Amino acid sequence: MTEDAAETIVVVDDDYAMRLSCERILSKTGFAVHTFEDGARGLAAVADLRPALVLVDLKMPGLSGMEVIPRIREIDPTAVIVVITGYATIGTAVDAMKAGAYDFLPKPFSPDELRLIVRRGLERRRLELDSRQCEIERELMKRRFVSFVSHQLKTPLVAVHQYLEVLDRLGDTPDMSVKAREWIGRCLARTDEMRQLIDDWLTLSRIEGGSLGRQRADADLHDTLTHLIESYRPAAGERRITLALDAATPLPVHADPTCLAVLFDNLIGNAVKYNRDGGAVEVVAERSEGEILVTVRDTGVGIPADAMPFLFEEFYRVPREGAPVPGTGLGLPIARRIALELGGTITVESTAGEGTTFQVRLPRHLDEPAPGEEVP
Amino acid sequence: MNRGYRVLLIDDDPDFSAAVSTYLEANGFTVVRAASGREGVTLAARARPALILLDIIMDERTDGLFAEQALRELPGLADVPILVVSSLYDAEADFTVPPDRMWGANTTFLRKPIDPTDLLERIRTLLGVPES
Repeated sequence: MTEDAAETIVVVDDDYAMRLSCERILSKTGFAVHTFEDGARGLAAVADLRPALVLVDLKMPGLSGMEVIPRIREIDPTAVIVVITGYATIGTAVDAMKAGAYDFLPKPFSPDELRLIVRRGLERRRLELDSRQCEIERELMKRRFVSFVSHQLKTPLVAVHQYLEVLDRLGDTPDMSVKAREWIGRCLARTDEMRQLIDDWLTLSRIEGGSLGRQRADADLHDTLTHLIESYRPAAGERRITLALDAATPLPVHADPTCLAVLFDNLIGNAVKYNRDGGAVEVVAERSEGEILVTVRDTGVGIPADAMPFLFEEFYRVPREGAPVPGTGLGLPIARRIALELGGTITVESTAGEGTTFQVRLPRHLDEPAPGEEVP
Repeated sequence: MNRGYRVLLIDDDPDFSAAVSTYLEANGFTVVRAASGREGVTLAARARPALILLDIIMDERTDGLFAEQALRELPGLADVPILVVSSLYDAEADFTVPPDRMWGANTTFLRKPIDPTDLLERIRTLLGVPES
C-alpha cells in the first residue's frame, strides 16, 4: 500500500460518464473517491469529508466551477483543486489559478494523465503542509501570466496581419480600393494600440522591478497637473468636455516626476475618455491633514458596482455597450502601483451613469526630502 | 459560387472580423458576424449557419469555449463544423477533434492569424463545395 491509500478525493462534475471514469481510475489507484453532480453537493462534501484533493468541472449548471473554487478555499485552504474543462487555454488557466486552483486538466484526458495530475497535486499539498509551496505556486502563476500577456500583445498584431493578408489576396479587385484605405487607417490604430500596450507593460514592469519610483526629485504637483490638463484640452474640446483644475500653488512633492505624471495622466485620461459629450472633469489637489490629496472627478458613464472589485487588475476592462473604447487595461493597475510605490493609496467611488471619482492620497513625507535621504 | 452557404463569424476583435468576413464574402459566402459568445449563440439559432468560425478569448475570458458547448446544444447544430480560431495556439496546433469524442467533436482548432487560402480550402472541404 502506498501512502496515497488514505487520501480522500472529491470529484464534482455534472457529466455522469466523467464521474464514473474518474472514480474507476482513482479507486483503482487506491484513493477513497466520492463523486458529486453539482457544486452545492460538492461543497457540502468538501466540508464533510475534508478531501486532500478536489477535481472540479468548470462548466456545470447551478454553481459553476469558477464559483466553487474560492468556496473550497474558504472551507479548507490546504485542499488541492484541479480544474477539469474542455481544451486547456491559458486564459481559463489564469482565471482558475487566480481563483485558487492548483492545476488544470484538459478534456479529453487519459487515465495516466489523471493519475499524474492527482499525484502531482497531492505532492504539492504535502509541500504546502511543509509550508514550502508558496514559492512554487508564485513561480507557476508567473509563468502562466507571462503567456497571458503575450496573448494580449498578439491580439493587435493578429488583426494587422489579417488585414494585410486579405489585402494581399484581394488587393487588385476594384471594390477593394476604398476598403484598403480604411484598413490602412485601422492598421495604424492597431499598431498604436500595440505600442501603447508595450509602453504600459514596460512601465508596470519597471515599477514592480523598482527602477521607477525610487528616484526621488523635487517636483511641483501643481505644474504637473497643469501640464496634463493642458495636454487634454484639444481632445476634451472636441467633445465639449470642460476641464477644471484647482490646485494649491506651489505644491512641492519629493517624488519621481515621471511617476507622478504617469499616475495622474492615467486618471485624467480616463476621466476624459469615459466622459459623456458636454461633460466635465474636475481635478482638485490640496493638502489635507498632513497628506496630499488629489481628486479626479468626472461626469462620465460611471462604473457598475459589480465591476469595482476588478478595476485595478491587469488587463481588466469594464464591459461597455456600443463601440469599443481603445485602451490597454493597464492604466489603473499602473496608477495603483505608483500610488503604492510612493507610499500612498488610491480609492474610487462611482455611480453608473453619473460619474466616477478617484482619490489619490500621498503621505506627507513626500512633501519634503526625508532627512538624510540621498538620491541614489 | 458559394452563395447560400452562410458562415457565422464569432470574434470580439472588429478588425479581425472585418478582414476575414470581407475575404469570405469576396469568395461568395454570406457572412453573419457576432462580437461575443452570447450574441453568437443567439444568432446561430436564428441564422442556421453551415459553418462557424469561433474565437476563444473574448472580453478577456474564455467565452469561446463555453460558446462552443452552447452551440452544440442548439437543434441542428450538433454536427455543424466549427473552426475554433485563436492566437493561443502555436504552430503545431492545427488539428481536428474526431467525431466520436464527447467534447469538441467536429471542431477544428486553427491558429490566428489565418492563412486565407488555407481557410478557404478547409471551408470548401468541410462543406463539400467545389472550387468556383
